[in-house]
Amino acid sequence: MKLTETNFYQKIVRDPWPYVTGAVLLAILNIALFTATGNPWGVTTPFSYWGAWIWKAIGGHPESWGYFAEGTAHGKALMQQTFLTNGGSIMNLGIVIGALFATLAASQFKIKKIKNIRQVIAAVLGGLAMGYGARIAFGCNVGAFFSGVASFSLHGWIYTIFIFVGAWIGSKLLVKYLM
Amino acid sequence: MANTVNQANTRTASARATAKKRRNQLPFAILLLIGIIIFGFVLNGIGVKLPIYWIFGISFGIVLQKSRFCFTASLRDPVLTGSTSLTKAVLIAFAIASVGFAAIQYSAVQAGNPVPGFVSPAGWHTAIGALLFGIGMVIAGGCASGTLMRVGEGFMMQWLSLIFFVVGSLWGAHDFSWWKATFMTNAPAVHFPSLIGWPAAIFGQLILLGALYLIADWYGNRRSSQNS
Amino acid sequence: MEVSLLADYRLDCMGEACPVPLLKTQKKLSGLNIGDVLIVEIDHSCAMKNVPEWARKEGHNVDIEETGDGEWEIYIEKTK
Repeated sequence: MKLTETNFYQKIVRDPWPYVTGAVLLAILNIALFTATGNPWGVTTPFSYWGAWIWKAIGGHPESWGYFAEGTAHGKALMQQTFLTNGGSIMNLGIVIGALFATLAASQFKIKKIKNIRQVIAAVLGGLAMGYGARIAFGCNVGAFFSGVASFSLHGWIYTIFIFVGAWIGSKLLVKYLM
Repeated sequence: MANTVNQANTRTASARATAKKRRNQLPFAILLLIGIIIFGFVLNGIGVKLPIYWIFGISFGIVLQKSRFCFTASLRDPVLTGSTSLTKAVLIAFAIASVGFAAIQYSAVQAGNPVPGFVSPAGWHTAIGALLFGIGMVIAGGCASGTLMRVGEGFMMQWLSLIFFVVGSLWGAHDFSWWKATFMTNAPAVHFPSLIGWPAAIFGQLILLGALYLIADWYGNRRSSQNS
Repeated sequence: MEVSLLADYRLDCMGEACPVPLLKTQKKLSGLNIGDVLIVEIDHSCAMKNVPEWARKEGHNVDIEETGDGEWEIYIEKTK
């Protein structure tokens, strides 16, 4: 029997998993990551480093900003690390490659081209808003929402309320202008 | 009923007839797996902790993609489509993680160390930032983890979103000092167990998550009977 | 009676971002009659889960077929 016809392949590799399975596994992984590295899961802080490394490489001076002040974790990462030596960056790359691997293994990979100008506007504005919002709120849906709440922090719960409100506003905008 | 089944079967047969030639991508997956492993060893030569981050990243990516897990949908769908299945899943994830995090934090504090985890200043910057993020993720069709997942799945729209996500992050880092001076210096970082004790905080949070779960469940079931 | 090999209505959602396939499906289906079949064409991994889930919750007959690498057709027969 071909590998792709086995029950294992169909059920585990090809078919999608239930949401609850994903939830349990993500929680366990977050706990394990916290245990192994001393920090819970977060995604967007490395994005600020990628931007800053590029900015610095083309002549900017992000090290003069308060966010990257000398002695702070961000400052150290900016001046002493690179993409390949920064754990968070490697982990984010891993998410991309892991998702690619899962899709290929199920033979479901397909390049989806951008369909229209509305998608371009949505990606640009949405990306900017997420990047900016995550910096000033100390995290994204993972670092502030998921890990913040799990860390029993007030900021996580405030984030929860307002990301929900934001999603509601975003839905209205999406339906009205971007569909 | 038999007619429906026949219709479905006929249509399925028609679909198979029009289906495109399928390529078995498993060989590519195997090649990629070999590359993943090799890269792990390369990373090990650069820094001993890096392979750990690599393995966790790969694992997160696989789990996110296989389960089609979407934090964006968990917050957007209750209002937009009436579905709360992802909302409930997210609440389950929060509950399990809370228990594990409590154990990690408790033992650290018992050993005399500061509370580990993400406990940040809570204030207007949190509200405004979260609001911005919520709007952005729905418009862009994916949050932070969702964007990375979709980059790996081949969605060019998310490749673009990621680029501007990085730009926005740099912009936010640039403006951070202003936000800090305006909102953060007076904003407290509040860790509930340190404030109200471990039992109250842990049970309180689990009960709150449980209550939200029940509400989400009721709401999700209610909408469907309303629609028919 | 020969059952038509072609379904009643096709909805092309290829290349659409979340949650557009589901929103378009909901809108289109509300305008169809009972017994009509809607075939939704998608290439979004989230939609191959959330569209059938919604349609089944509404009580319709749903079938899904993988028609290409990362492409699916969702058959929804409106029952109410």
